[in-house]
Amino acid sequence: MKRTLLLPSLLLLLIGALGYEWTAAPPAGRRPLVFCQAGQIHTLDPAKMTWLQDIRAALALWEGLVQYNPRTLAPMPGVARRWRISDDARRYTFFLRRSARWSNGSPVTAQDFLFAWRRMLHPATAAGYVTMFFHVAGAKAYFDSRARRSQHPVPFSTVGVRALNRRTLRIQLRYPCPYFLSLLAFPPFFPLNPQAMRLFAVRHGRQISYNPRWTRPPHLVTDGPYELTAWRFHQYLALRRNPYYWDRRDVRCRRLRIANYPDAQAAFLAYRSGMVDVLSFLPGNFAPELVRLAQQGRRHDVHYRTVFGTYYYLCNCRHKALADPRVRLALDLALDKRAIVRDITRLPQRPVNVLVPPGTIAGYHSPRGLARNVHQARRLLAAAGYPDGRGLPRLKILTNTAAPMNARIAEAVAAMWRAQLGVRSSITQEESKIFHQDMVQGHFDIASADWYGDYMDPTTWLDLFRTGNPNNLSGFSDARYDALLERAGRTANSTRRFELLRQAETILVEQQMPALPLFQALDGMLYNGRRVGGLNLNVRLITLLKYIHRRRPREVPSRSTQRIGSRSSTCRQRSHDSFGVPT
Amino acid sequence: MKSFILRRLLQSVLVLGLVYTATFWLLMATPGDPFIGQKQPPPAILRALRQRYGLNDPGRAYFAYAWRLVRYGDFGPTISYENFSVGDVIRQTLPVSMALGALALLLALWLGVAAGTAGALLKGRWPDVALTVATQFGISMPNFVIGSALLLLFAVDLTVLPPGGWGTFQQLILPALTLALPYLAYIARLSRAGVRDVMTADFVRTARAKGLPPWRVVSRHILPNASLSILAFLGPAAASILTGSFVVEKVFAIPGLGEVFVNACLDKDIPLVLGIVLVYTLGLVLLNLLADLACAWADPRIRLA
Repeated sequence: MKRTLLLPSLLLLLIGALGYEWTAAPPAGRRPLVFCQAGQIHTLDPAKMTWLQDIRAALALWEGLVQYNPRTLAPMPGVARRWRISDDARRYTFFLRRSARWSNGSPVTAQDFLFAWRRMLHPATAAGYVTMFFHVAGAKAYFDSRARRSQHPVPFSTVGVRALNRRTLRIQLRYPCPYFLSLLAFPPFFPLNPQAMRLFAVRHGRQISYNPRWTRPPHLVTDGPYELTAWRFHQYLALRRNPYYWDRRDVRCRRLRIANYPDAQAAFLAYRSGMVDVLSFLPGNFAPELVRLAQQGRRHDVHYRTVFGTYYYLCNCRHKALADPRVRLALDLALDKRAIVRDITRLPQRPVNVLVPPGTIAGYHSPRGLARNVHQARRLLAAAGYPDGRGLPRLKILTNTAAPMNARIAEAVAAMWRAQLGVRSSITQEESKIFHQDMVQGHFDIASADWYGDYMDPTTWLDLFRTGNPNNLSGFSDARYDALLERAGRTANSTRRFELLRQAETILVEQQMPALPLFQALDGMLYNGRRVGGLNLNVRLITLLKYIHRRRPREVPSRSTQRIGSRSSTCRQRSHDSFGVPT
Repeated sequence: MKSFILRRLLQSVLVLGLVYTATFWLLMATPGDPFIGQKQPPPAILRALRQRYGLNDPGRAYFAYAWRLVRYGDFGPTISYENFSVGDVIRQTLPVSMALGALALLLALWLGVAAGTAGALLKGRWPDVALTVATQFGISMPNFVIGSALLLLFAVDLTVLPPGGWGTFQQLILPALTLALPYLAYIARLSRAGVRDVMTADFVRTARAKGLPPWRVVSRHILPNASLSILAFLGPAAASILTGSFVVEKVFAIPGLGEVFVNACLDKDIPLVLGIVLVYTLGLVLLNLLADLACAWADPRIRLA
């Protein structure tokens, strides 16, 4: 016994102890505030991030020229203390505040912004949101010339951004862009610290790239409310209040942890047991039950609202039958969207007949869209040459495994088409990567899709159907539609511009129907409003962790003195009142 | 002995090369594109991404990745978590899986041997029957059922243990137990059978006849001979516990290698999948070698050739 089993046992004990010691959490005093997200952090390079969880982390670590108002998401002064916009709405001059500091104490300068933007605009950086920058004069020409590797590349000085001095920055736009200011609060436009990144520079000829490890602590230098102290892969980001941040008085949380769990159920259990203070999503399988309990007033920690996202079915307009708008209209008119929400998703999403979530953009009035009308649908289908679905090839509905509800919705939709129109279809469910590849290559007839707007403007949806846009996966192309968007892009007057965009959306949702809108998405968070304050549920789910803090019991506000992220019960009430018409 | 080890190590280099080749080309043959997601960037961006990871030309990428491994011992940045290289990911997650696996196996070994021996000594009486039923249960129940049941009982209803995560000793108990149970059951069966075989041997009768106390007969004469089969089982068990911890890691939210591996496959993160497959292969090869050596060392009748 001694000889045979003791030695392996000792070996196992040694491996176990070493591995545990290597990876166990360092002993900490008081547990930091834990904010748990659904997905892993993919990158902390602001130029490249496209995932919501990365963006939330970036908003806690960095600050752009402007920052979001936590309630309305309207731009308010950030690193720039004030700005001036020229009369033609194309030239912006920003005056940076003297007190803006990096987490290493050095001042944030206009050159830091130019450094970041120049890097982002280079195709080799592979910035996912680079097109947001094309509003700036000369930016697209610069990008294109670098992408073509032309012999005489356009110099960066032709791009309409200029540092007039260390604290003054001027941006020249191609066309007036009413939402440009709020774009500047978005991660791709954040400044970067050139001194800190220089250590990671790798030179290939004239081109400089950066070893992606520059974002790992202790190397990362940021200019926002927090600084990064640790990054455990697939576990958490540990943040500490940035002592040099100019607005540090508004940052009431000293230590914050942005955690993630590989599994929604595990995350929910962690939240239940108190290991997590805020769950930034409604855990899929439990969501209908949680929302129901909240509606009955039996749970006060469930906060939810309809958000700036639409779930829709995309038609492949290159398909033989689906190229006919009458067929697409018929498919839409036959859908009982209310039943899908009531019986399938079982969440209070809002059924919609338009693509841009109605009421979310101030000043924009959505078209009415088409209400359900089965008789009309049958007539249209017959007029297109497919009476009672005869002669129509079997439609392939493509959906993905990202959410369990996708397949259930597809089954319901297929059943409705079969019953109401006699249209037959088959459902294919694929892993996300394969699904997206098939979408891009056009290997689908109908595909499930959801889209969350990147900025508060109808074009974040309407551009999806513009000819030549890489995100236009439907193959839809309409000269009148493109012309309306083009004209809107050149219009400075906001009312006139929104009217043009409304006409464009009318083409989509009342005449052409390349996408069949189903419902406006709903999302939420779980947290006890008596323990955690400073959170709010805005329409884009951009949680500003700058304001998050633990509440002491006596601090719980009465209704009259509500701060941002009011007490949970009132907050829930509010999301009810604003249901569909978010404030 | 030395030449045996040397030969096995040389063989394992060959095995690693073959596994690398097979994995690489299988990855290339599977559908899906690691760079295509929900939001489509301009084509120039996609080109730049493919170029950065050297995936414009699969033939060249095959040699380039092999060269990177030989030259730097790392495949470079992963695709889905670009701030971490493949080596960073493995360094941060493999120790977690190894610690969990080692402690689970330790638990399985000691409890399994104890239970099996007790069963053999009390043959036919109720503890033995209970043990047989329990081991059957342990072997046939899938991990996620046991894990979820333990979670419900100890973390949700009794709330005596945390429901998952990694970092404290309490968080280790439930996942280690879940991971250990099937192995525990198997080891209990092995040791029960082993002890029963040895119990009737002549040398055991002799030991009893010369008046040794019963516990000494068991510990000095029965167990050493009965545990040879367990020792032989430990190598493959360690390998499969290391590579099979995915479900437990997911249920208990443990940041180990298994969970990363499954996600890497779904994301088609080519360098990361290659790296983890090679680490698993190396682990399998080394553990099997270790098991062979241990058997030869424990049982003089076995000769290494």
